[in-house]
Amino acid sequence: MYHRIYAIAKKEFKQLKRDTRMLFIVFFFPVVLLAIFGYAINFDVKHIKIAVYDPDKSEYTREYINGLISSEYFELVTYIDSDAEIKKLLDEKIVQAVIVFPNDLSKKLNNKEEVKVQYLVDGVEGNTANVIVNYVNAATINYSLKLTKEYLAVTGKQFYVPINLEPRFWFNPELESSKFLIPGLMGMILIITAVVSVSLSIVREKERGTIEQINVSPLSSFELIIGKTAPHIVISLINAAIVLLAGYVLFGVAIKGSIFLLLLSTFIFLFAALGLGIFISSVADSQQVAFQAANIAALLPSLILSGFIFPIESMPTVIQWITNITPAKFYVVTLRAILLRGVGLSAFWEQLIYMMIFGTIFIVLATLVDRKAKAA
Amino acid sequence: MNSIEVKNLTKKFGSFTAVDDVSFNVNKGEIFGFLGANGAGKSTTIRMLIGILQPTSGDALVGGYSIMKEPDKVKTQIGYMSQKFSLYNDLTVEENIRFFAGVYGLTGKKYEERKKWVLKVADLEGKEKLLTTSLPGGIKQRLALGTAVIHEPKIVFLDEPTSGVDPVSRRNFWDLIHELSAGGTTVLVTTHYLDEAEFCNDIILINAGRLIAQGNAKALKTNYIKNTILEIESDSVVDSMEILEKEDWVGETSIFGNYIHIILKDNSKTKTDVIDVLTNKNSIKVHRVDKIVPTLEDVFIHLLEKDKKNVS
Amino acid sequence: MKTIYEFIIKELLQLKRDKKMMAVIFIAPVLQLILLGYAANMDVEIIHTTIFDQDKTSASREFIRSFKESGYFSIDYYASSYDEVTELIDKAKTIVTIVIPKDFEKSLNKSETISIQTLFEGSDGNKSSIALGYIQAITNRYSQKIVNNIRDKYGMKLPLTGSLVPEVRVWYNPEMKTRNYMVPGIMGLILMISTLSLMSMAVVREREIGTLEQLIVTPLKSYQLILGKLIPFTIVGFVVMLIVMVIMTQWFGIVIRGSRLFLLLASLLFVLSNLGWGLLISTISKTQSQAMMVSVFAVMMPMVYLSGFAFPIENMPQTVQYITYLIPLRYYITILHGIVLKGTGFSSLWLEALILFGMGVGILTLSALRFSKKIE
Repeated sequence: MYHRIYAIAKKEFKQLKRDTRMLFIVFFFPVVLLAIFGYAINFDVKHIKIAVYDPDKSEYTREYINGLISSEYFELVTYIDSDAEIKKLLDEKIVQAVIVFPNDLSKKLNNKEEVKVQYLVDGVEGNTANVIVNYVNAATINYSLKLTKEYLAVTGKQFYVPINLEPRFWFNPELESSKFLIPGLMGMILIITAVVSVSLSIVREKERGTIEQINVSPLSSFELIIGKTAPHIVISLINAAIVLLAGYVLFGVAIKGSIFLLLLSTFIFLFAALGLGIFISSVADSQQVAFQAANIAALLPSLILSGFIFPIESMPTVIQWITNITPAKFYVVTLRAILLRGVGLSAFWEQLIYMMIFGTIFIVLATLVDRKAKAA
Repeated sequence: MNSIEVKNLTKKFGSFTAVDDVSFNVNKGEIFGFLGANGAGKSTTIRMLIGILQPTSGDALVGGYSIMKEPDKVKTQIGYMSQKFSLYNDLTVEENIRFFAGVYGLTGKKYEERKKWVLKVADLEGKEKLLTTSLPGGIKQRLALGTAVIHEPKIVFLDEPTSGVDPVSRRNFWDLIHELSAGGTTVLVTTHYLDEAEFCNDIILINAGRLIAQGNAKALKTNYIKNTILEIESDSVVDSMEILEKEDWVGETSIFGNYIHIILKDNSKTKTDVIDVLTNKNSIKVHRVDKIVPTLEDVFIHLLEKDKKNVS
Repeated sequence: MKTIYEFIIKELLQLKRDKKMMAVIFIAPVLQLILLGYAANMDVEIIHTTIFDQDKTSASREFIRSFKESGYFSIDYYASSYDEVTELIDKAKTIVTIVIPKDFEKSLNKSETISIQTLFEGSDGNKSSIALGYIQAITNRYSQKIVNNIRDKYGMKLPLTGSLVPEVRVWYNPEMKTRNYMVPGIMGLILMISTLSLMSMAVVREREIGTLEQLIVTPLKSYQLILGKLIPFTIVGFVVMLIVMVIMTQWFGIVIRGSRLFLLLASLLFVLSNLGWGLLISTISKTQSQAMMVSVFAVMMPMVYLSGFAFPIENMPQTVQYITYLIPLRYYITILHGIVLKGTGFSSLWLEALILFGMGVGILTLSALRFSKKIE
């Protein structure tokens, strides 16, 4: 049995080696994509463009605005002279928030009254909007506290703050969203490479007709499946190593945990991903179909269902079960545990088991499908 | 009147010369055969003549148009059937016919007329709704040929049209080719079935991109081999061949089933000499030695050997 | 004209016969949109919290209660040691741990400032900062209450000074729900992936099968061949678009505020520009597997990440932002957000529509010119 598997694997390997364009794409692109996306993707809300409508034009409003824009969160784009301009600014996303001061602000403040300051926030990007609202609320409260503090200082009284919060952000002290996103990004790049590259391997032979030759040989379905997958494991592992290295070099994603566990988890993950790919290859009868199927199985699920961007806990329960259809999900959990938190096997051993089961199921299914196709 | 005029046609792929300075003419209504081994340059030549491959140098007039300067006009004059089956397997017979008719701009009555003709030619009348993939090989080829000439082109190029086709279908196919030729269509066929070459009016033999012989079947057999050919039936075919090859008066040898053909370098040698070598000196019983008219295959092999020697 | 018509008929017939392809093109988007529409959710609804109460007094209990009552926090664990806390954070079972020190009540009674540690599982910086925002708001309110009581006790006239109160109005997406802007975005993604991958295989498939040679031998002109491929796929793309749009409005209940007609037109232009990119890939690829690799790695993945569907383009480095100008999805998402959420129309979005049109026509023309009726 091993001879035959070896024979198929060797042939597959040789064919791969000769297709230099493919090899170039498989090794070159993942790293390049990691590099570009790693810099591009983040949720850190900074330099939000704002506009201000200030009919009051007092010391208060000036101080307040200065406070807002001295942080890196807001960037003042323009002052407007009437609220008729507001709609255009927001509609065309020239700014994402408009601050509207009432014209009797200073009068009211001097009168120790509460003054309502309007914030018109572009809610389209809900996440950004949420963050803006948070900033804005906090900034306003801080300003009011500042007024109190100044008043008390003038009258010689102490400004008492009962509770002082000391936030500590474990694993990601600067709260850089990229640290959170990059493991997910790596997982997605790896799964797409693995699934896409292997999904065409059997189908191509079907289309070219060479599969018939294979079917009449003593090669069993299982041996075919394993033999076809084997070279791709090697390639995917090399790819993974390159991607991980690039993650470290470019983004400082250090491996806080055990390197051995990282490699082991990656290997198991690739096993699952390739299993999925080879299954697609055995079911599809044209490369066209295989392509579409690979996209559906690998691209979108790993993007949206893996927990890479959207937290799984936030999904409806039914959808949470469904997220188990992509091995990327288990891998992302594992990667975050090892890369970000540096924790050991106890935190993610279930994920590894799931991935092994996943891979095994798909390899078995692929074998069954191929057997059925041969018998037909 | 020349339908096709080929002048010094050459094609190089990098340092590899696929077609080397080939020139020939084809008369209108002729069945013209292209013979040669695989990789000799037949398909490459055809591809240049039908205007889909740019020659490195030289030119050809096909249907009066230059393939270098006016390849698009060339395409309006020709029909082509490629080596690979090139109808759509996932369409029905009818749908394939309709599509290619559409591509050639056939409508209305003309379309109906030609459609009927194609169906008749492929023996598919009443079977238009069958999926092309379900048809047997020979019928598929006939359908492909019919479709290739649905627009009644003046010149038709057929690239190995009968490879893998059963003998009955092959015969039917050639009947069709004769029909086309009789109607004034020029047919250029590549083949490596030498018996088919006999059906052609004119043949050229290509080896390693070079034209090494031209003429009709009869001319080739008489002009190119001046040497005697003997057919020998003996007890041990392979041994006999090996022994005879060593004799300096024996040229090419080849096995034909249970017999061997030898081409004599020295025409004075006879049956007696053969028996002398085989039986007297090597104890191999000889049953029969006859002088024969060379077959095209004999000519072929002889010319290829000669060409190889010329090159080296 | 008739030639092109016959070509279109052929393509549609071939498609109709390929049952697997039909399922993948028409059914898959439905399932995907529903699944992913539910999954794509960044709304922070419940924050899983651990409380480590080292004080256990009525003051600390009252403080804890204020979190419970806010509705944002779900207090899942009451820890009794730092080890427990560490374990919970390592296993990512909790997002934030609030540590109430001993002497909490005592300090408050003495009007001393007490520090509260808030430990965040910082991997998901987004969630952490939003959680922090809520905690700060709640803590502020609690502190304010205490301070006001004290001032009241001392007979100070309240309020001491005027204060600013933020009145936030969120435009377009008042509840800031992720789903409202993700679903249109995912719709665009699905449309992009299906049309682009279909077209990228289209020409190269005929080349690989061998029918392309038969076609280029005929008087068929390049533009006729291209239109013959383009029009059926545009029709397919349009149908897919209608399907996903129906899902968006009927299933997800997302209302299209702006002009539906303009949306349909813009979608058509979007489909065209994607087909243009697909065609370009098809003309530069020699085999279907190459086409697949190039489309996935060089075109689709960048489009997914850099289109602004999840990661704001404003956050990206300038050089990367230049790349985004080539992505049709970027403009389509702007248009989608505009028409669906903002209710804006042609007057604000004409530029994006024009760019889509230009891109489509431009790339198609380029591909057509490249596609010579010769083989080499």
